[in-house]
Amino acid sequence: MLDILRTTSTEPRPDEQLEALMLAVAADLPVLLWGEPGIGKTAALTQLAACLDLPLTTVIASVHEPSDFSGLPIVGEDPEARGVPMAPPRWAVELVRAGRGLLFLDELSTATPAVQAALLRVVLERRVGALRLPPAVRIVAAANPRASAADGWELSPPLANRFVHLYWVHDPDVVVRGLGGVWPRAELPRLAPERLPEAAEFARRAVCGFLLARPTLIHRLPSTETRRGGAWPSPRSWEAALTLLAFGTAAGVSRDVLALLVRGAVGDGPGLELLAHLDRMELPDPEELLADPVAAGLPERGDLRQAALESVVAAVGARPRRERWEAAWAVLARALETGAPDLLVAPATALAALRRDDWEVPEGVERLAGVIGLARRADRSVRRAESAQGGHGSAGVRR
Amino acid sequence: MTDPAKRPGPRPVPYPQPYPKPGPGPKPGPGPKPVSGPKPAPGPHPSPASVPAPAPSPRAASGPALPLDREKLLAARLHAVRVRPYLADALFALHVVEDRSVPTMAVDAYWRVYVSPAFVALLPVEELAGVWVHEVSHLLRDHHGRGERHAREHEAYGPGERLRQNIAADFEINDDIYGDGLPRPAGAAMPGMLGLSGGLLMEEYLRTSSLSGAADLAWLDCGGGADGHARPWERGPDGAHGLSRQQRDAVRFRVAEAIRGRPGTAPQGWRRWAEQAFHPPQPWRQLLGAAVRSAVSTPGTGGDHTYRRPSRRSAGVPGVVLPSLRRTPPRVHVVIDTSGSVSDAELGSALLEVAAISRAVGGRRDLVSVISCDAAAGIAVPVCRAEGIELVGGGGTDLRSGFARALRSHHRPDVIVAFTDGQTPWPSAPPPCRTVVGLFRRPAPADDEEDPFHVPAPPAWARVVTIG
Repeated sequence: MLDILRTTSTEPRPDEQLEALMLAVAADLPVLLWGEPGIGKTAALTQLAACLDLPLTTVIASVHEPSDFSGLPIVGEDPEARGVPMAPPRWAVELVRAGRGLLFLDELSTATPAVQAALLRVVLERRVGALRLPPAVRIVAAANPRASAADGWELSPPLANRFVHLYWVHDPDVVVRGLGGVWPRAELPRLAPERLPEAAEFARRAVCGFLLARPTLIHRLPSTETRRGGAWPSPRSWEAALTLLAFGTAAGVSRDVLALLVRGAVGDGPGLELLAHLDRMELPDPEELLADPVAAGLPERGDLRQAALESVVAAVGARPRRERWEAAWAVLARALETGAPDLLVAPATALAALRRDDWEVPEGVERLAGVIGLARRADRSVRRAESAQGGHGSAGVRR
Repeated sequence: MTDPAKRPGPRPVPYPQPYPKPGPGPKPGPGPKPVSGPKPAPGPHPSPASVPAPAPSPRAASGPALPLDREKLLAARLHAVRVRPYLADALFALHVVEDRSVPTMAVDAYWRVYVSPAFVALLPVEELAGVWVHEVSHLLRDHHGRGERHAREHEAYGPGERLRQNIAADFEINDDIYGDGLPRPAGAAMPGMLGLSGGLLMEEYLRTSSLSGAADLAWLDCGGGADGHARPWERGPDGAHGLSRQQRDAVRFRVAEAIRGRPGTAPQGWRRWAEQAFHPPQPWRQLLGAAVRSAVSTPGTGGDHTYRRPSRRSAGVPGVVLPSLRRTPPRVHVVIDTSGSVSDAELGSALLEVAAISRAVGGRRDLVSVISCDAAAGIAVPVCRAEGIELVGGGGTDLRSGFARALRSHHRPDVIVAFTDGQTPWPSAPPPCRTVVGLFRRPAPADDEEDPFHVPAPPAWARVVTIG
């Protein structure tokens, strides 16, 4: 009976968190899975190990002692002359002998501070006592969130900074389907060899450009109580974000998976800002738009489209010349043909303000007359609303 | 097109109601050209009771099709952007879908806004602007995600629950988005209608009130974006022009940044949202517990490994030096602000918490002392029973005397836990032990450094947990 119940199959199914986990492991960055007990972190790890074809070594951190990770001091015959060797535990020896494997450090947050400190070295330097773990060994840790770890210690900021934090949640559909006998299987991300240099260049440009603009985000210790124990930005974690960005781009994973990884490396705020920066980087180059307004490919989404148009106006403002100004009007006319007119109001107003006295209004501009009408209509409506409010005044009162 | 009615008649929508499925084929097909002349019945859906509605037309799609007045709709969006510039990114990120089976205007979780042409024809531009802001607020405040979570946690499914959730979400939004150039649409649901006070969150309205009697409230069906339940007209996650989760987060993040970037222009509710959009507050009990536990257990205090005595495992491995796990119980001094501004209930709950935590980390009870402190520090009292703590005081506060008292005591504390409402001067130098401050939440004072009663923030050397 047990055999029947344990025979399950798998089906390919897109799973963002599993994909993110695989990518981080492929990029050889230590991953920390946060999740309630019994949510299937271990099951995911088992599947990952099978998928990567690596033997899985599970070490429950909370039941070990610091010496299990830093090595056990063995007093020999002549300690003064020969030193005291730090003997590694058996699981480490076996890992080294196998040369490859997936090391799973479970229950990290309930380990004592001394054990956590000893783990720092394992995770960062890949050293267990005198042994050095081979490069083919991957490290994944798991922890219960503070809310459910009743007697847990929290993760110290230095240790937290070394991990890519992934929050493991269960999807009811997946669980029901899995109990029915079919578990999801995520495809191992494949790096396209021809895209590697391009991906590395892209990741460098993204992270460096962003940090140049926001230098305060290079290093920021978690300040509030709610953010402790999680990811935070530091040069080390930015390097991890860069690596993940390069791997993710080369593997062609979705932006959602990239978001999970980047936010897991440097924290929510800085991660979201970097992603917003990526969105901006993907906007069309204003100079290209000005060079060929008729073929201008503008983003579909309204907010991005408006940002692209504003960058065109800003480019004209930076080097105001008559033909550039006229080309910008042509870009706006093109935008009117392909999208909502209300997005054009702000860029058109700014562009009109750039006019020099001897520049004549180009011919195509009358096509934008509808935009002016729209702006006037909105203005009238704002005035009406304001006068109505001044009239009886009750609408504006809050509570 | 003729000028629409000035006032929308009552345009409540009965709920639940079997909405007709959107017809097959692409939406914008104009179908039969509208007959110029008599205006089509405003809103194909009759109100529940009040209005003698035109005979309920069986299916909206079969009536004469009114074209969507796109210009009016977009002028209204422009109005909204003018008066709420910090919402511009979010408003422009919405993708408009014309759909006659939608009762009014509705959003889905993927940032599409479904618009009924009849509804647009009915409202003046300025009220439409209010509807735009209302709908985008549902998405910014993640009402679909929160609604789903609430439904799961309370197993609250079904049309009645959905109605309650939408009403509660509307209450949360409507009590602070209108005014300031944005008139409130006539039918907007306000907490005052049920005698509730404003300023609460959706979950709080759901918890504190049955919202019964709201069934006859005039309201807008704001779609799946407001409560997490898919509507028949929605295109779902795979349809065109939807935003992925990352894109939605990015838009919400930019709006939050825009609000934080210009304090003072956005109302209180929006500023609170911007602060918490990506860091929802955690329950203070857990934070306080973690802070105290971490202060009590870091190396030097509490349980940790030590080589002072050999481990019990040593017997089995001769020649190997093993550490053993030993607890050095930490000495915790609790300094309590007993000035008049702190209520007994606040103190009681916080104290019980500390007693429980220090017991849990193995501190013997005789190692936990309590110092009540107003202008002068009282006497350190060992805690014998959690409920037996005697507090004296009631005047002004000076926590400095409490800290000094704690550090002067015969046995130096390993950890000081201070409870206060922050209306106190702080020691100028960090005390030589770990410090956790439980800060009772007080209404945020005007940020005025010149104010003689300006309250200094707790110093950086203390771990601060806001309580309540």
